[in-house]
Amino acid sequence: MKHFKRTTLSNFTMVMISSLIIAGCNSSSSEDTETDLEQEVTEVTYTYISQLGGEATAIDASDSGHGFSTPMPNLTAEELEKHLKGDTNFERAFTTAPNAEHPELDGLGPVFNNQDCNSCHQRDGRSSTITLVKDQTRVLLGSEAGIFLRISTEDGQCEIPTVENNYCENKAVDGFGTQLFHRGVLKARHDWQENPFIGQANVYLYYEYSTISYPDGNTIELKKPIFTIEKPYDVSEQNSDNSAILQANVRYSPRNGMPIFGLGLLEAISDADILALSDEDDTDSDGISGRPNWVFDPVKAINNDPMPVSLGRFGWKASTPSVRVQSLAALRGDMGITNPLFPEESIANTAMHESYLSRTGFIDTGRDEEGNTEATQAFSDEVVFYAETLAVPARRNIYDESVIAGAQLFSQINCTGCHQPDFITATGDIQVGGLAAPEAIKGQRIYPFSDMLLHDLGEGLADNRRDFTANGQEWKTRPLWGIGLTKAVNPAAGFLHDGRAATVEEAILWHGGEAEQSKSDFMALALSERQSLINFVMSL
Amino acid sequence: MIFKKSLLAAAVSALVLTACGGSSSGGEETNVEPTGFEFTATEMITNLTNDVIVVGYQNLNSAAADFLLALQSLVNTPTEENLLAAQQAWKDVRVPWEQGEAHIFGPVDALSIDPHLDTWPLNTSDLQALLDSQESFNAEELATFNDDVQGFHTMEFLLFGDGVTTNEKHITDMTSLEREYLSAAAEVFKGYTQTLYDAWVVANNPNIENSPAYKELLLTANNDVYASQLGVVEELINGMIGIVDEVGNGKIAEPFGSSIANIDTSKVESQYSWNSLADFTDNIRGVQNVYRGEFLGQSDKSGIIDFVSAADAELATRIDAEIVDAIAAIEAIAGESDLPFRQAINDEEGRVRIQTAIDALSILQTSLENDVLTKLQTWQQ
Repeated sequence: MKHFKRTTLSNFTMVMISSLIIAGCNSSSSEDTETDLEQEVTEVTYTYISQLGGEATAIDASDSGHGFSTPMPNLTAEELEKHLKGDTNFERAFTTAPNAEHPELDGLGPVFNNQDCNSCHQRDGRSSTITLVKDQTRVLLGSEAGIFLRISTEDGQCEIPTVENNYCENKAVDGFGTQLFHRGVLKARHDWQENPFIGQANVYLYYEYSTISYPDGNTIELKKPIFTIEKPYDVSEQNSDNSAILQANVRYSPRNGMPIFGLGLLEAISDADILALSDEDDTDSDGISGRPNWVFDPVKAINNDPMPVSLGRFGWKASTPSVRVQSLAALRGDMGITNPLFPEESIANTAMHESYLSRTGFIDTGRDEEGNTEATQAFSDEVVFYAETLAVPARRNIYDESVIAGAQLFSQINCTGCHQPDFITATGDIQVGGLAAPEAIKGQRIYPFSDMLLHDLGEGLADNRRDFTANGQEWKTRPLWGIGLTKAVNPAAGFLHDGRAATVEEAILWHGGEAEQSKSDFMALALSERQSLINFVMSL
Repeated sequence: MIFKKSLLAAAVSALVLTACGGSSSGGEETNVEPTGFEFTATEMITNLTNDVIVVGYQNLNSAAADFLLALQSLVNTPTEENLLAAQQAWKDVRVPWEQGEAHIFGPVDALSIDPHLDTWPLNTSDLQALLDSQESFNAEELATFNDDVQGFHTMEFLLFGDGVTTNEKHITDMTSLEREYLSAAAEVFKGYTQTLYDAWVVANNPNIENSPAYKELLLTANNDVYASQLGVVEELINGMIGIVDEVGNGKIAEPFGSSIANIDTSKVESQYSWNSLADFTDNIRGVQNVYRGEFLGQSDKSGIIDFVSAADAELATRIDAEIVDAIAAIEAIAGESDLPFRQAINDEEGRVRIQTAIDALSILQTSLENDVLTKLQTWQQ
């Protein structure tokens, strides 16, 4: 494609040039020239941008399933080595403790959602959407599932994080915590002989379908996953209604694995540049507010910062402040691997953990005799660095007429109101996750197409579970860079927080709330214009 | 957000000035045709998709069926002869699987088939706990177990033993419950190889009837998966690089260690069956299949070699020789005394031969990365 792009550019440019040369050298038609030129110069600034990650854009990988998986080309040799170690760590499948031959691999669980990072971020992208076999009424989430449920007990909105309100951290469900671990090691449960490899509870998924009609009469079917929970560990099967997890005040939010490239660049955007876009009270009356999430920052806490709160940047609701916190929380939570930032097992201090430890002879406590966690500091640093330094894929089909038209429509219907095209990352003595940032991510003009802020996207998409200061209808604007390669990376991937949208078009149609006007404007476009807009998004 | 000046407009302005000013230098610069080469990729993509990848998965599925039959015979008639046949059948399934690792993309990944079939290392303690605690096993139940107690290496361990001093296991060393576990695991395995094959030829998502066969996405690039043939060729070349890297820098180098003092036998793939060198050889044979466009011994068909040749015939020949060299170097590791890889890493002369193989793979990887992949930039489709 790279050559194709150039050829097309030269053809396109030559047509323009020919007309301009004629016009430019002939004063009688100068007005026409002005008009032509004016049309061109009013094209949105991102129309012909290819290198979405600046110098940290991938080379020779942006057209295939390798598009999310290459290191930033501007890393130093030493940084590249660290990145590649992190790559190996990312694919490391952990096993039950004790593993005498491979002590470095043991410590999985005891409860978890998957055994390695890659299983939920396949080829560094999105996880596969779980589908049902024909006539199957529901499916059990097992090793194929890159999705899990966050859980918490309803305790009202939290507006301002303080030490008294535990910095707005969500209230754990008694005996479960804030994430439901649906898988386990063989003996995770006291009833393991009947329920081997089951975690805190079984989670099943099925879909509800609805049809949406465009003003032009075209229709499209949408699906929404519904989750049910069975066999909670805390009560007997006959008594399951009494389980803490099945009470009416428990809130659930499904979370799908998302792509992990370009994250260091997003962390290198200054707080000020993001906050400048926030418009909490919609003072410009465009129907779009945009506000930051303020979240607990364990890195600050470990460094004894008196106010361990930072701007939320990662996760579907911007509930983590850094790649470090996001990755290492997933290492401890999603896989059950303790690490220096999160040294306690995910289910520490619950009845399940106490039963597990006593039944299995305290061999998998999360720490060894010297107090070392299951993942070392070096392992943790490498895997974090890996996720910070994966390159952003370049665009495709930029000079396709439809894509060019779609780029303009994307702005005209104000998708850019939230999907902010560009930033310039910070320079100087900046940190990511509490450590000095690599030069590769500094001072780059990037095009993530996200304002990194929270927006109310309406009831249709709501999870009705707050997350720090984000409410139950708010989501962080997803970066759109690389989105067109999603299915090259994983053909079974879906979009949105629970993978409900099979296509970009379906994802657009789920937008509501602050995005209602843009969605209506999209739906009112002619079919060919809608396709142009989608083609533009797919070129990213 | 509308900006007053786009890059294109800037370029146009400059050209207008050039054209009217009569200066030729800028104009010439713009009119320079990019240097490049032409290659029509349709035949190559069609051949690699249908006759290398899909046929490879068909072979895998068929070998898995034979393997399941062999295990069912072993369950029904537990004799030494049937055990030997089952061990051989395991090695036979290994061939198309390892060769297919030269193109790990699409359904094998999207449907989690790779971890289901080939998770390593396995979890011997959980496996033993299951055998100690359960009275029977069936495929439906076993499919819900974690990946590290199913797939190739779990079955390998049960079929061949721990591999430390020998890869020979006798029927008397095997319980009937182990045979039942094996048979159930082979049935689950066969289900996945069928799913994988169907995903390529029927529907890439088995649960969505109208999802296109994955092969169609390669054959008719310009879809939501591959925006162009360039994406397909890029996928194939990066797939070759991926496995050459894994064999050289992972599968061989990690257990090999930097010296004989820090070898790690526990990291040897297929260490129970002593099939490691066959695995590695088949990995690079898989690269050869994609590069040449045909399986060993078949008549010449279109492969990546033809793409490279269109750009640089000498390079195309050199890469082919480097692949042949790498395969020969891996095969030579066994030496005259036919050492398995897990013993060769602990043998001074064996280590010299292993280093030769690592070097050959490194040369090949560098060529593929620096000389072949970069040809995509000058390919005029």
